[in-house]
Order: sequence, then C-alpha cells, then structure tokens
Amino acid sequence: MTKKQLIAISLLLLLTIGLCFVPVVFKSDSTINLFILVLLYLSLASSWNILGGYAGQTNLGHAAFFGIGSLVTRLLWIAGWPFYLCFLLGGFAAVILAMIIGIPAFKLRGVYFAIGTLALAQIMNITVANIWPEMSYNPAIANYQLAPRYYLFLGLAVTTVVAAYLLVNSRWGLGIMAVREGEDAAESLGISSLKHKLLALGVSAFFAGLVGSAFAYYHVSYYLFMPFGAEWTFDPVMMTYIGGKGTIIGPIIGSLFFVLMKQLLVWNVGEYHLIIFGTLFILVVLFLPGGLLEVWHKLQRMLKRKIEAAKAPRTKT
Amino acid sequence: MKARMTFVGIILLVSLLLASCAPEPTPTPVPTTPPDTSAPAEPEYPPAPEYIEVGASIPLTGKFGSLGTQVKVGYDYAIADINADGGVFVAEYNAKVPLRLTAYDDESDPTKAVSNLEQVFSEQPAMVAYLGGAASGMHAATTAISEKNQVPYLGVSFAWWNIHQRGYKFLFSPFPKSPDQARDVFKALNEMIPDAAQRPTKVAVFQEKTDWGNELGGLFKADAKPAGYDVVYYAEYAPGSTDYSTLILEAKAAGADALLAMPTTPDGIAIVKQMAELGWKPKFSLIIRAPDAATWGEATGAAGDYVTVFAGWHYGENFPGVTEINAKHQTEFGRPADILVGPAYSCVQILADAIERAGTLDRNAVRDALEDTDMMTVIGPVSFNADGTGNVLNPLVQWINGKMELVWPLDQQTADFVYPIP
Repeated sequence: MTKKQLIAISLLLLLTIGLCFVPVVFKSDSTINLFILVLLYLSLASSWNILGGYAGQTNLGHAAFFGIGSLVTRLLWIAGWPFYLCFLLGGFAAVILAMIIGIPAFKLRGVYFAIGTLALAQIMNITVANIWPEMSYNPAIANYQLAPRYYLFLGLAVTTVVAAYLLVNSRWGLGIMAVREGEDAAESLGISSLKHKLLALGVSAFFAGLVGSAFAYYHVSYYLFMPFGAEWTFDPVMMTYIGGKGTIIGPIIGSLFFVLMKQLLVWNVGEYHLIIFGTLFILVVLFLPGGLLEVWHKLQRMLKRKIEAAKAPRTKT
Repeated sequence: MKARMTFVGIILLVSLLLASCAPEPTPTPVPTTPPDTSAPAEPEYPPAPEYIEVGASIPLTGKFGSLGTQVKVGYDYAIADINADGGVFVAEYNAKVPLRLTAYDDESDPTKAVSNLEQVFSEQPAMVAYLGGAASGMHAATTAISEKNQVPYLGVSFAWWNIHQRGYKFLFSPFPKSPDQARDVFKALNEMIPDAAQRPTKVAVFQEKTDWGNELGGLFKADAKPAGYDVVYYAEYAPGSTDYSTLILEAKAAGADALLAMPTTPDGIAIVKQMAELGWKPKFSLIIRAPDAATWGEATGAAGDYVTVFAGWHYGENFPGVTEINAKHQTEFGRPADILVGPAYSCVQILADAIERAGTLDRNAVRDALEDTDMMTVIGPVSFNADGTGNVLNPLVQWINGKMELVWPLDQQTADFVYPIP
C-alpha cells in the first residue's frame, strides 16, 4: 500500500466515523434529511460513474435500476418480508434486469447505447405506472425515524465508494478502463469488451438497486413508478459531470455541490433559485469541462510549478 | 478480489446493523406544577411571539408549477388581508399576532417537498401549521410528514378521497373529493335539466389508470344507476396515452350521450380534439382536472367548448371576500382570481379561525379546533368530517365561448348551462 493510499483510507475512515455522529450531534430532522439526500445522490452518482465514467458507456437508463430496486424492496417489505432481505433483493433484482438488458444493449455503441437505456427507463416507468398505479404508504408512520435511514444511506455511500475504488484498482478495473479507451485495441490485447462492460454494468446496477432499496425504506409515501422518473438518471449524471467523470472523488464533490447548493438556493433565494443554479451549472460546464475536480488539479499544478520554481537555483545575471 | 469483496460485505453489514440499532426516541417528561393556592389576581399574559409561523412546500416550478403558483397567490392574499387587520387574536397572549408563511419551492418533486417541510419545521420550531402544495402525489408525501411531526395540515388542489382514509389525524382539506364529484354530477344534471326525457342517460366513463382515476371511475359507476343513468361504456387508459380513438369509437358505438373522464391537461386536450375529429359529440361532457388549466380554451378551441369541470371554486361565487380577491387579482394579473386562489385563501381563513377559537398556538389545540370548524369563507360554508375531508360547495363550471362560467349550483350561476352541446 502506497503512502497516498494510506492517507486516503485514513481520511475516509475519519470522515465515516465523523459522519456516524451526525444523528447524535444534530437533533434536527431537517439536517439529517439533508445529509440523507447528499448520501443518496452520492451513492447513485458513484454507481453511475462506474459504468459511465470508468467504462465510458453513457447510461441514460440508470433510473430503471434505481426504480427496480425500490419497487422490489417496497413491495416485499410492505408484504411483511424482513427489510434487510428485501434490501439485498432490490440490488439483485437490478443486476438481473441489467444482465437481461446488457447483453443486447452492448451490441449498440455510443449514442445508440444511450438511447437504448433511456428507452428502457421510460418503458419501465410507463409499465410500472400501469401495473401499480396506486400510492405506496409506509404503514408504520407512527414509528418513522430518520436515524436508521441515515445510517443505512451512510453505509451504502461508503460501500459504493469503496467498491468503486476497489473495482477500478483491480485487474478487472484496468480492463474496464482499457475498453473505455478503445474497444478494438482492448479486444486485440485479449480483453473481452462484452465481459468487462457487463461487469461494470452489473456492479453499477447493483449499487443503484441498493440505493433504490434504501429509498423505499426512506420515503414515507410515493407512487411506485416515481423512482423510475428521468430525474433519477439525469441528476446523478449531472452530479458526476459537475464533480468530475471517471474519478472516485468526482461524484462525491458533484453530489455535495448539487444537493447543498440547490437546497440552499431554494431555502434562501426563493423563486430565482433555478435561474441561479442553472447559471452556475453552465459556468461549471463552460469553464471546468473536467468538473470541479479540475479546480483542484489546476491548483495542484500551480503549487507544483511554484515549488519547483522556488527550488530551482537562481542564476545571477 | 475475494478479500476485497469480503471487506465491502463487512461495511454493508455494519451499516445495516447500525441502521437497526438506532435509538428509539425517549418520551419527554411532562413537567408538573404545584397547585396554585394564592388569591386570584389580574391575569398576566406572556409576551406574544412576533409571528404565528406557518410552513409550506409548494410546487412553484416543474409539472405542477401552474397549480402551485395559484395556491401560493391564495395564501399570500389571505395572509396579507389578515395581517392588515393586525393578525389573528390569540387569547393566550391577549393580543393579535400576524401570520408569517415560510414557503419553499419543491420543483414538483415529492422528495424535495419532504425535505422542505422538515427544513421549515426545524427553522420554525414554534410553527403552528403546514399549508399544502398542489396535486395528489405531492400531498401524499407531505401529509405523511405533517403526521410524523404532528403539525396540522391544510391542503387543497386534490380530490383524492383515499388519502383521507389512512387514519391521519392532522390532515384537513376544504376541497371537494371524489365522492362529492361522483354524486354531484348526476345531481347537477337532474337539477339543471328538470325534464327527465331531455337528460343524457347513457354514460361513457374514460378512466385514467391511476389510483385517483380508479377511485373516481368506480364511484361514477356506483352512483349512476340510483340517479337514473346507465354506464354503457367503461374503459381504462394509461396516463400519457396519445391515441384515444378506440375509446371514442367504442363509446360512440355504445350510444353514449354523456362523457365522464378525469384526464391530465395534455390527455384531456387530446381526448376532446380526437372526439371532434371522429365526430362524436355527446350531449354532455364532464372532464375533471384537464379544463382547470387557464389555457384550455386556447389549446382546444371549439373542441373544448361546453366541456364542464368540477373546478373546486370559481371567481363568480357569491361569498364574502370574493369580490376583493378578484379585484386584487385583476390588478396584479389582469384577470379575476384563478380557480385555486379561492380554496387556498380559505385554508388561511380556516386556520386563523381555528387559532382564534383555540386561543393558543399549541398545535394539538389548533388541530382540535380545526376539527370543529364551522364557518363562512371565500369558498362558502366549511366544516370538516372526522376523516379531515371538507363539507364544501362543489361548483360545476362550463367553458362557454372560451370562458369559464359557473353553471351549478343554480343560485350561484354566472351563465346559463349550455345543453345539449351545440
């Protein structure tokens, strides 16, 4: 393990321990709720990033995996199944859906794959709305507590980020990135692009499904088709691009920026919040095409240059 | 890789355990006071708070934005009017206290609406009540939060009755519900067309495949027969459908001379346009919800004329305060008040009345007072049933020459009912 990795792990551990105390320190449901939203989107954006960022496959149907996780968990949980079993089944249901869709979908490349996945989410949305048009209520509203939901989302966020990190730093991860850089080149080196893309899709869908499962546990009442809505695809995509696609830290920064900035604007600016947020988003896209992470990289390069300049022997003229 | 997977598994397991080990809330001890043995003195009132805090999450943008903005206008007008008179008298403080609304836009997203209500609850711990946003799906999410936080909730712009059957104690809605709509359509027809031979008798129901659609469609079917009507055609369709030709042709073939439906605005526009194209002109059309949109007349032209709708309210209603609201709306927006402005206005009137009767800002006392509401508002007399549904007027509005006219109840008419559709 390198020194850099050790520092990163220590920081993650410290941050996680610190976050464990949020429900103890903050008594307000609003603050815990805000943390939950950040963690939810962080997990969802990180899961999208595995396929979209590392495998280079623009998935516009992420809501289908999020939705199926939520649907399976909610239906089984309300039917009286133990929640933890339903939670895991939600993730596995998403993987099954991903595999059914993945094999034909990966015959499509580029924009056709994106359109195919977009259609999948839309089909799922309409189908679920037709089969289950009714509202789903949490029957135990009197015992509803945010703290258990918070811990579930925290654990899920940490798991997703760690899993993404471990995957991209493994042999499989290198294969996935090789496919992103050039499928034909990767194939010529004996890397099966289909296998690697399916692996990335499966892992991405599994975590999206788990986030959907946690959402089913978190939301008191909602239409069962709601988690299949396009916003559950496009919001994580935006977060990943804002933070920095194809990096571990990018979706974290992106989701923090997206959720906090948006909510703070809603709560403080009133009806102009969308105009301001839209402007900020355009500015980020225009001036930081690599996402907010680019600011850090630019700063790093600048610091490095300055240090090198300071270290360089001065010559007298 | 195996070790790594084990590591990921352990983290997931720990988080699940933490989730299950979260502490349950401990009950707050109730302070006890010793019995008062001193001689009676002049009552001393505690200092009144600066404001009576009211919170809301309203869809001001997104798909329900057009409804939410009307609701917000109603709340703002009512609060301004009450505060212009000094506010609400609270006996506990022996003073009038102005109302203050903290409302956030939820972008028509129930998840954000929940977050907003939690936020406003945290910001204003002394908050007395929530005012609702618009649309059933939004209310379903937010009413659950009001129940969790035990804050009285007043909401309009949803006719869904089932939401009131969840056993919620804090939900009150001075707005007509599905059973009112199903009952009143036949009642209105019988009153407006006294000659039974002239009435439409064969009814077609186009039921949207949603829980509210299912509820209302079932009630139409159940209430038709006792009122003297036959449902000769009943069909379900998925919201967002674009082709209604099968339904229209089958209804026409069944000889239906009245249409009852509950589509969204885009679906409703498609239905009436396709009816015109396919040459099916029933004698009477009740299309709930879609023609609520101010743009209905413009969007449908002649095809959308003479359609009726249970709008919940109409600016032509003859109740105290309506003229003033219309004047204000006319000045600000160049037209009389929109249909949700009145019901939203009434929510604030009802809340103010309940606070005044409760004599305190205690949420439970206000809730109890809301339950006993029996008052006149801009939407007419209002009282509540045990499930929080309101006993309110359910006016029938007809689009006549591109204008919304109030045609029933007969004593509130702003124009004669046009029947059969020319």
